[in-house]
Amino acid sequence: MDIEQKQAEHIENFVKQASIIKGSSSALANVIVEATSHPSLFAFSEILAVPNIIELQGTEHSIYLDLLQMFAHGTWSEYKSNASNLPQLTRDQVLKLKQLTMLTLAEANKVLPYDVLMHELDVVNVRELEDFLINECMYVGIVRGKLDQLRRCFEVQFAAGRDLRPGQLGNMIHTLSDWLGTSDNLLISIQEKIKWADTMSELDKKHKKENEERLEEVKNALSLKKLQTMSRLTWTSEGTGFSLNLVE
Amino acid sequence: MASSSSGLTFKLHPLVIVNISDHHTRVKSQSQPPTANGFASDATSASSNSPPLSSPRVFGCVIGVQRGRTVEIFNSFELLYDPSTHSLDRSFLEKKQELYKKVFPNFYILGWYSTSADAEESDMHIHKALMDINESPVYVLLNPSINHAQKDLPVTIYESELHVIDGIPQLIFVRSSYTIETVEAERISVDHVAHLKPSDGGSAATQLAAHLTGIHSAIKMLNSRIRVLHHYLNAMQKGEIPYENSLLRQVSSLLRRLPAIESEKFQDDFLMEYNDTLLISYLAMFTDCSSTMNDLVDKINVAFDRHSRRGGRTAFI
Repeated sequence: MDIEQKQAEHIENFVKQASIIKGSSSALANVIVEATSHPSLFAFSEILAVPNIIELQGTEHSIYLDLLQMFAHGTWSEYKSNASNLPQLTRDQVLKLKQLTMLTLAEANKVLPYDVLMHELDVVNVRELEDFLINECMYVGIVRGKLDQLRRCFEVQFAAGRDLRPGQLGNMIHTLSDWLGTSDNLLISIQEKIKWADTMSELDKKHKKENEERLEEVKNALSLKKLQTMSRLTWTSEGTGFSLNLVE
Repeated sequence: MASSSSGLTFKLHPLVIVNISDHHTRVKSQSQPPTANGFASDATSASSNSPPLSSPRVFGCVIGVQRGRTVEIFNSFELLYDPSTHSLDRSFLEKKQELYKKVFPNFYILGWYSTSADAEESDMHIHKALMDINESPVYVLLNPSINHAQKDLPVTIYESELHVIDGIPQLIFVRSSYTIETVEAERISVDHVAHLKPSDGGSAATQLAAHLTGIHSAIKMLNSRIRVLHHYLNAMQKGEIPYENSLLRQVSSLLRRLPAIESEKFQDDFLMEYNDTLLISYLAMFTDCSSTMNDLVDKINVAFDRHSRRGGRTAFI
């Protein structure tokens, strides 16, 4: 997936930056702000895992840690409800958070009605929404899908993954095992169908052969009969007519 | 043979492989008289026929494009090999090169091919002879013996490298890896060849079975890949493998695409098409039945009803 490849470099850079800076938590806060405004970076769990950043918890800059976590797992509405505890966001960060919100919404449903999107993203008219979707989401490559204007919805075909919450791994494994089960069943039923098709064609061939054999028998019986009835023919044809006795 | 260190990536088009095997098959079938006539009572002809000819080696040139470090082999043509001078027919090669240049101005002679089980010493002469057209030609080798156990293609690509052996710098062949690259048109023809039906595959059952078998193998491959992912995620959860976030993100985005098609629109369209197909097959069955009935009635009329014209009564059994 190309999003991951594009991000991999940036992730490495930021992780390096964060691990080099020691002690100065305001510098770390700057790194966080930089990372969250970077236009092509959508994955923050690696940065979250850097020990220096984890140490930010409890210091005066711990709101930046919360901010990073919000970017990793949260949405725009969560931010709005929690805005008092978190630092102000720049325009880039607002944009990024909205994009991440799109990804979360795409997680839940495949078909997103425009109304829901407008509500979640704080966008008033459809035109702005579509511009946002096209320019910020599809051209960047985090989302692929179709805009259905008649039904006023957006069908998602592909959405890049967000950082995982701890519980999600269990769900993913569950989904994978379901998928495995379904494909196993499908394989078995296809095999049965193939066997059925083969048996049916066998039966059909046998049936045809049987019919041919009976036909041959009857033909032979008839030709024998013909020799016998030929003589009777001339004798009875003037009279009452005759009927061909088809004897089986 | 050591593996190549030149860093060139080779891309091979299936057309080349089909050409080489076609050349080989043609030469082989033309040089051996058809075995049906070989059992003549004539002793001389039997003796001339007895040892099965080991397949003669065929030779030719491969052409293509070289862009930077990528060598892409598109096409090939045959050449005559002169066993007396151990060299390829030079004038023919140049004529062919000119002709190909007119149609494909981008293509250069990238090397040559041959068929045999393994590269031989005499091949080095031919290789060196080609070095004045292309400084580092490639040697494509096709192994014509059929080995059912072998899973991959019997095609190897060799390059020549200057190695110092026993103090003497010598050119030896080194293997290189290659990938198969297809253009859309090539994919169609390869697909067509891969799906060769049995010659009496007219009956619906065999076609159905063949189609289902294709789907079955495709799903089986998908199944094995999902199993690998499942195993990997399980190991990650148990802690045997450290978390790798980028991979997890990709897996989660993949899983979100399931179920692949579930919208109401799909259900409607699918059911409509299903019903249409069922209706059409029902209709066809109907037509078939009624035509058979018609035939039966005609036959019975012919068989039993001979006196209706004469007005007589006949017992219609």
